[in-house]
Amino acid sequence: MNLQFTDEELAFRAEIRDWVREHLPADISHKVHHALRLSRDDMQRWAKILGGKGWLGWNWPARFGGPGWNAVQRHLFEEECALAGAPRVVPFGPVMVAPVIMAFGSPEQQRRFLPGIASGEVWWSQGYSEPGSGSDLASLKTRAERRGDVYIVNGQKTWTTLGQYGEWIFCLVRTSTEGKPQTGISFLLIDMKSPGVTVRPIVLLDGEPEVNEVWFDHVEVPVENLVGEENKGWTYAKHLLSHERTNIADVNRAKRELERLKRIAKAEGVWNDARFRDQVALLEVEVVALEMMVLRVLSAESSSERGGKNSLDVAGLLKIRGSEIQQRYTELMMLAAGPASLPLVREAMEAGWQGDQALRLLWPGEVPAAAPLAGTYFNYRKTTIYGGSNEVQRNIVAQTVLG
Amino acid sequence: MDFEFSDDQLSLRDAVARWVDKGFAFERRHALARAGGHAREVWSELADLGLTALAVPPMHGGMGFGPIEAMVVMEELGRGLVHAPFAAGALMSPALLAGAPEALQAEWLPRIANGEVLVSPALQERAARYRAAHVATRATQDGGSATAWRLQGHKSVVPAGDEADAFIVPARHAGADTDEAGIGLYVVERHAPGVTVRGYPTQDGARAAELVLDGAHATLIEPEGFASMQRALDVGIAAVCAEGTGLMERLLAITVDYMNTRKQFGVPIASFQALRHRVADVKMALELGRSMSYYASMKLAEPAAARRRALSQAKVQLGQSMRTVGQQCIQLHGGIGVTDEYVASHVFKRLTMLEMSGGDTLHHLGEVSAAMQDTAGVFA
Repeated sequence: MNLQFTDEELAFRAEIRDWVREHLPADISHKVHHALRLSRDDMQRWAKILGGKGWLGWNWPARFGGPGWNAVQRHLFEEECALAGAPRVVPFGPVMVAPVIMAFGSPEQQRRFLPGIASGEVWWSQGYSEPGSGSDLASLKTRAERRGDVYIVNGQKTWTTLGQYGEWIFCLVRTSTEGKPQTGISFLLIDMKSPGVTVRPIVLLDGEPEVNEVWFDHVEVPVENLVGEENKGWTYAKHLLSHERTNIADVNRAKRELERLKRIAKAEGVWNDARFRDQVALLEVEVVALEMMVLRVLSAESSSERGGKNSLDVAGLLKIRGSEIQQRYTELMMLAAGPASLPLVREAMEAGWQGDQALRLLWPGEVPAAAPLAGTYFNYRKTTIYGGSNEVQRNIVAQTVLG
Repeated sequence: MDFEFSDDQLSLRDAVARWVDKGFAFERRHALARAGGHAREVWSELADLGLTALAVPPMHGGMGFGPIEAMVVMEELGRGLVHAPFAAGALMSPALLAGAPEALQAEWLPRIANGEVLVSPALQERAARYRAAHVATRATQDGGSATAWRLQGHKSVVPAGDEADAFIVPARHAGADTDEAGIGLYVVERHAPGVTVRGYPTQDGARAAELVLDGAHATLIEPEGFASMQRALDVGIAAVCAEGTGLMERLLAITVDYMNTRKQFGVPIASFQALRHRVADVKMALELGRSMSYYASMKLAEPAAARRRALSQAKVQLGQSMRTVGQQCIQLHGGIGVTDEYVASHVFKRLTMLEMSGGDTLHHLGEVSAAMQDTAGVFA
């Protein structure tokens, strides 16, 4: 048992660090480090840079054109990107649908879809939740009826993150009402330019249109866009959920944001206030403990990749703790800025914003560091709700402990 | 980076677990606690297993094992609810003697290793709370001798104090009461002139004592002992973290069994979601605690500043985890959880006392707060 990375791992980290430092555009990392608004172009520019290097599918095996990294290498890659201020890779293509296509898609689907995902050319969205199906996802009602060579899709998806940019969407759809709800669900890939698809942005409490409603009105989807077998979609979706286990903790981003919290606290003059500072110290302990838990999972995964038996089923705990920590640092950042976090000036979220003389007095410095804090705090209430709410996660954890 | 135990470490774990299963059932523990918490016979049994030699260097008859082996043993002793002062006598005292002259090491370490003596660290003073540098006990040289000293002062809540053969005592020969410089480490034998020991049972079924030193005869270990004392305190914190992890595991297991057995409203109480979510929170606290126990033991080899910061971080997490697991598991049991006859309450009391051992949560939060860097994380 030891906490040291091997020389090979350290060399790997240095290689990643150098490459990211050289290729991550400074205007993008500037926005990330200051929580300024990222455009579609920002996100896709970085995705294509990674794609050009063959690293957008950093968790892909070599036989599908990925780098074939092991669990520790994947973690180091994610960490270097996060600490450097890279935007979070929009996961729906490379992290979510690609592994399903690799595991259950036909060779034809793999040839057709994977290259566009790997390069960052094609923007994918996720069509899971529905207005009536949140935590009880298996109750979903969007129907796909087979008519000859096409499915006719009718229904509504919601909470589709960044769906306004989406070109393709992978959906769970109902193909049967027989038996248990889980056994009548299929996994369908849908071209969002198809006639009958309507996307309507939903403005969230921070004023930003981050998620969408997606309507399907007699949308024709060729049967060759069905992944795997009809009515097996639930199994495939569960495979997807089990695929990324440590990433959901987002501990690397938490480390970066904790550093930012300390900078904000110093600038706002609360760093030397023991009452505030102890709260930061407590969060720091929580982040270290989360990182140790992530490293334990990585070690167990590396061991099982090497054929060992060690496994550690704490994905639910990672999601719960990771999301709580994200909420906590956004809360402390807002509290650090105090009254300076109250004003709502949406333009101040744009990079290069100069403001006027009065607002420069409110928010001095090169960037208006306090301007986005309340919005981020509001926005991050989502983290304990999405991806399986923390209460659903507690049910899962309790199941593994109590049976 | 590797979190797997070696085969030797797993064998060590098995050996301790087998002894617990055969020789330290709850009935025996309960009887010992009711009789005053005496542990010397248990200390001898641990010696028979070879465990008291664990941290003693091979040249003094020990095994010279490192922090991970110590952690493995402490986890199992925790799981077994063993009340013997193993961390104090077998892990901390050898660390405190590491800076002693060769002859003094040769006098004490082999006898610690074979279990013949129990040497207890007497590091706490009543007014100091958990601040290691607050040493009011005074040391004066006895005549012209270089190693013979007289100590004047009072040490508080000394583990197994009235069962120990000797104590390791920090005392000040120079400086103000809170200076790090001027603190020497001394060996004081229990039956030496000027030593008074008042023993008592502790809340968790173990034993401790007040140690009153009135011109007590003492032998110098090292004149500037603060660094050694801090290192030994950190060894003690890592031991608390590991023991706490074993205890939390035991308590969760007991609770799970109970919840699947106990029926109310015609069904096992394990079926109620309000209780299941508490169990999920307990599991969270346990796994965060275990993670930080690993961290504590693996960071013991770091340079002092990084080591101190890491051990304080670990103790903050374990303090919170132990309290959460203890309180929630008692609640999940209902009435049976607050009875003396049932094992859960004893695990809970031990977890509670461990939070106050080696510095409580608020103390270490203050340490973490004072030592924060610009960066954060395991490798910061």
